[in-house]
Amino acid sequence: MIELRIPRSLFQEMIDDLERTHPFAMERVGFVYGKMGSIGSDATLALLCRYHHIPDDQYLEDDTVGARIGEAAMSQAMRDLYDGHSHRLCIFHVHIHGNHGEPRMSRTDSRELPPMMPGFQSTSRNGAHGILILSADHAAAWVWLPKEKESRRATRIVVVGAPMEIFEGGKTW
Amino acid sequence: MVTPDRFERQSFLGWNAQEQIATCIVGVVGLGGGGSHIIQQLAHIGFKRYVIYDDDTVEDSNLNRLVGGTTVDEKSHSPKLLIARRTIFGLQSDAEVEGLSVKWQEQPEPLRRCHLVFGCVDSYRGRQELEIAMRRYLINYIDIGMDVHGTDAPLISGQVILSTPGGPCMKCLGFLTDEKLQEEAMKYGKAGSRPQVVWPNGVLASSAVGLAVELVTNWTRRARAYEYLVYDGNKGVVNQSITMRNRTQHNCPHFSLNDVGDPVFLEI
Repeated sequence: MIELRIPRSLFQEMIDDLERTHPFAMERVGFVYGKMGSIGSDATLALLCRYHHIPDDQYLEDDTVGARIGEAAMSQAMRDLYDGHSHRLCIFHVHIHGNHGEPRMSRTDSRELPPMMPGFQSTSRNGAHGILILSADHAAAWVWLPKEKESRRATRIVVVGAPMEIFEGGKTW
Repeated sequence: MVTPDRFERQSFLGWNAQEQIATCIVGVVGLGGGGSHIIQQLAHIGFKRYVIYDDDTVEDSNLNRLVGGTTVDEKSHSPKLLIARRTIFGLQSDAEVEGLSVKWQEQPEPLRRCHLVFGCVDSYRGRQELEIAMRRYLINYIDIGMDVHGTDAPLISGQVILSTPGGPCMKCLGFLTDEKLQEEAMKYGKAGSRPQVVWPNGVLASSAVGLAVELVTNWTRRARAYEYLVYDGNKGVVNQSITMRNRTQHNCPHFSLNDVGDPVFLEI
């Protein structure tokens, strides 16, 4: 069982940033950081606590993808991750799919995003890292646990605060 | 088996409210006068996933307020966990209940699985420890408590506090103060055998469960991120605390969102 928890204020901060239009990119992306929580041997808790938005000038022009970020954005993410590695810092790449329902990784997502994970894993070995995709009314995440090469689907994503929201795979709310 | 029309009368909570309620993992710490009321209401509403803590057994002195407790339970020294389980399974036969007959600090991991925890503990220190854990693991917390002051002209009072990660905490709201904690510490952390009666616990538990349902379903469309309700048992009224009305800050200087997750030991 893997669960991601996001405070409501942070969830809103991500949405507010990711929904903004970009001068040339079709969509925005960001990184959200978190820490690990123990809830039993068969379960992992990733507690998301800080959002890092990507400045406009750190996007690259590329018509083949919705958004491509450059070296400066990646370097900053890796620096943050390195600074927090002793605290088992986690990092999730986050973006929005504009439709309703449970998000799935697009073909582009599947091709472009997983290759980031080995770098994250080698920088913060004891953190869980992954991909978080939000939709208009749902969310889904793919998580690479420490030392694991393959991703696992997060069992649920919980927005904590008011109102609470619990997104579970296969459920439409 | 839950019949399709079991929740018909609460369908105003929203088209998907029952699913939200059934998915949420609720924790109740303390299954005495307040906790037993809360358990009963949660089970009626349709909550299905529980983590409950109480290391006590039923005594004669509990029966003036322990909802579901009977004289048979007192004679057989039934654990309060058993009363809670009986109440839950009597209404939700397919519920998942993890009951722990220990203090939550001895086995905290199950509590961290919860999305919403009710604290029904006696001491200020106990409340503070619970809130610290809830903030660290990003869990919504609702605290209830009652007290009777004086003997010649007794005054019944109580509080219900909603504390969610990122929002004002019980210190921000003026409920937990260093003075109260110090005074209690002078008594070696014991809250003492405080007077307890069933009806104020019922009022407080109902108010707490109301906040929880609002939080989970957002049926009011303006779910509160924090709340401090005070109960005047002599007048029989529940009002918002004056500290809420005077509050201008909506964040918390005591708990940073960065201080989440397992504590880590660092080499110096």
